[in-house]
Amino acid sequence: MPEATAVSIRQLSKSFDDVEVLRDVNLEVTPGEVVTILGASGSGKSTLLRCINWLEQPDRGSIHIAGQRIGLDDAGKRMGAKALARVRAQTGMVFQSFNLWPHLNVLHNVTEAPIHVMGKSKGEAQTHARELLEKVGLSDKAVAYPGTLSGGQKQRVAIARALAMQPEVMLFDEPTSALDPELVGEVLTVIKDLSAEGYTMVIVTHEMSFARAVSDQVVFLDKGIIVERADPETFFERPATERVQRFLERHG
Amino acid sequence: MNASAWQMLFDGAWTTLWISAVSIAIGVAAGLIVALIRLARIPVVDQILVLYVSLARATPLVTLALFIFLSAPTLGFGLDRSVAGILALTINTTAFNAEIWRSGFRNFSRDQREAAMATGMTPWITFRRIMLPQMVITSLPGLINEMSFLIKGSPAIAVIGVVDLTRVTNRISAVTYEPLPPILVACALYMAIIGVLVWLQRLAERRANRLAT
Amino acid sequence: MSNWDILWQARDEFWTGFLNTMQIFGLSITAAFAIGCFMLFLLEGRPSTSKLTLRVFIDGMRMLPFLMLAYLLYYGLPTFGIRLDAWWAGVGALAVYHGCYFAEIFRGSRLVFPQGQVEAAQAHGFTRGKMFVRLILPQIVMQTRPLIGNQLIYALKDTAFLVIITVRELTAAANSLSGTYFIPTEAFLVVIGFYWAVSVAMEIIVKQCGRFGAKRGFDHA
Repeated sequence: MPEATAVSIRQLSKSFDDVEVLRDVNLEVTPGEVVTILGASGSGKSTLLRCINWLEQPDRGSIHIAGQRIGLDDAGKRMGAKALARVRAQTGMVFQSFNLWPHLNVLHNVTEAPIHVMGKSKGEAQTHARELLEKVGLSDKAVAYPGTLSGGQKQRVAIARALAMQPEVMLFDEPTSALDPELVGEVLTVIKDLSAEGYTMVIVTHEMSFARAVSDQVVFLDKGIIVERADPETFFERPATERVQRFLERHG
Repeated sequence: MNASAWQMLFDGAWTTLWISAVSIAIGVAAGLIVALIRLARIPVVDQILVLYVSLARATPLVTLALFIFLSAPTLGFGLDRSVAGILALTINTTAFNAEIWRSGFRNFSRDQREAAMATGMTPWITFRRIMLPQMVITSLPGLINEMSFLIKGSPAIAVIGVVDLTRVTNRISAVTYEPLPPILVACALYMAIIGVLVWLQRLAERRANRLAT
Repeated sequence: MSNWDILWQARDEFWTGFLNTMQIFGLSITAAFAIGCFMLFLLEGRPSTSKLTLRVFIDGMRMLPFLMLAYLLYYGLPTFGIRLDAWWAGVGALAVYHGCYFAEIFRGSRLVFPQGQVEAAQAHGFTRGKMFVRLILPQIVMQTRPLIGNQLIYALKDTAFLVIITVRELTAAANSLSGTYFIPTEAFLVVIGFYWAVSVAMEIIVKQCGRFGAKRGFDHA
């Protein structure tokens, strides 16, 4: 497996009951690259993202994170819970509905995994967490509980939480879809900053202008198949397929 | 009622309290263990536990206390009255607590569990650090409610001769021939104990609601 | 002769105890249900001192062990010249005690009863009593069905407390048999089986009622 890829997806297929949601998907993400996945709802884009850290188990195909296979070992047998957790720790995920842990304050949401998964000391984890909260503009909210935050603030905490694991790749699953329109901007700004800093990211989104501004590569999924992949300039200005043209017309 | 009657009543209340407290402590922990085993869905063991919960919920405490206290000697080991009482209360309350814990597990947010796994937590760390602390908060109102039921059921241990807050009223009236005063005092003491639990339950509910928002 | 043979020969005693328990249960739970409904009716309308008193009484009962109420009726009432035998003291205590629980269950459901229906009934000229009996009560009873089912099981279990005030019910039968023949394990297993069977039967009946309720659209399934 080439060491140079952050994420490498080969021949990935997945069905729910009898419905095929992903078919023979191939995708390479190089370190520092930002890939956005676009597509209508039901096109399989969230499923693809959730396969990357094995929250969904694909039926066929393989996924490697920084050269390590996830989900199955080299002999093709299912990984044990601990081994799976170790590979998952290489990815950071930001969910549509934030999924903060409500019983922990902001700082502890961020330090929980570094302490209990990476085995970092409390002091070290907290120092790092405070830096990250500063980065997402929430240093004043360290001792607040998630229930007291706005949606935009929650999502920024979730981003800091994912970053705290120093992942090889950040996965964003429609990070602004659950937000009130006026709160979308603050989250997108944070993600843009991260891309400028060279983080590797895979983003599922409906925000077209954001996708255009932030991506190195745009992938378009339709009925579980990648129908187009291109740099953002080409994708948005000169889409090759009629399917994408129609999609872009509808989403402005 | 004279001073010694009051003393007896408070002793009875103390007996009710400590026996109930021991049963509650064991019952809450044992209920969690039963719930966890049931979640593992081990064949045969699971069916046995289903049967246990069903039986324990249907069996009156008086009947259970008599059963344990009277049949233990025929099975070759005698039981102290207090121990038999604790055993009966514990067997009963464990079954109810197991159901409370189990519904706490079943209603636990799948999203939050996914968030934990996505950061690389193993199932055990996820359970210990993310699920259990929240389940304690969300299950506590139900568990405290069950504690009230246990106190209300605790007079059952009077039937095997434990001198609890109920039985002590018989002892006093056997001397004074005035049954009403000790019974009224006992009622007031029970109400005080359960009143505290109801108040705690309200606090716990407020905390659980805060977590849910 | 095995222990089970002894029990089989004494089956009449079990049966008498069982029937007695079922009589006590049936009579007291019917009365308790009526008391619960009546209390709910008394609580209808604007708050007042008498309604507040009733609420305090209901809450007070729910903070008391059932046996204490039975003690009050059996040992306490004679102080006022009212002498009930153990059986009637038991039935009375069960009826009042579980009546309060029923009232509280109904009250919880009444709090979320849609006010629009009440207004519609008033607009159609229903009297207070008619509206309560024909519109409010049936819906509340159907909606609180699972809680009523639970309460029935609690009430059944509370009948066993009456052995302490010398009522000859099911648990008393096991107790006396185990004393006579010294076979407590078997005697109590049989009795626990009886309680269990009745509880399971009640659960099934409540579930069947649920199907009926769902058909009539009482549940928001």
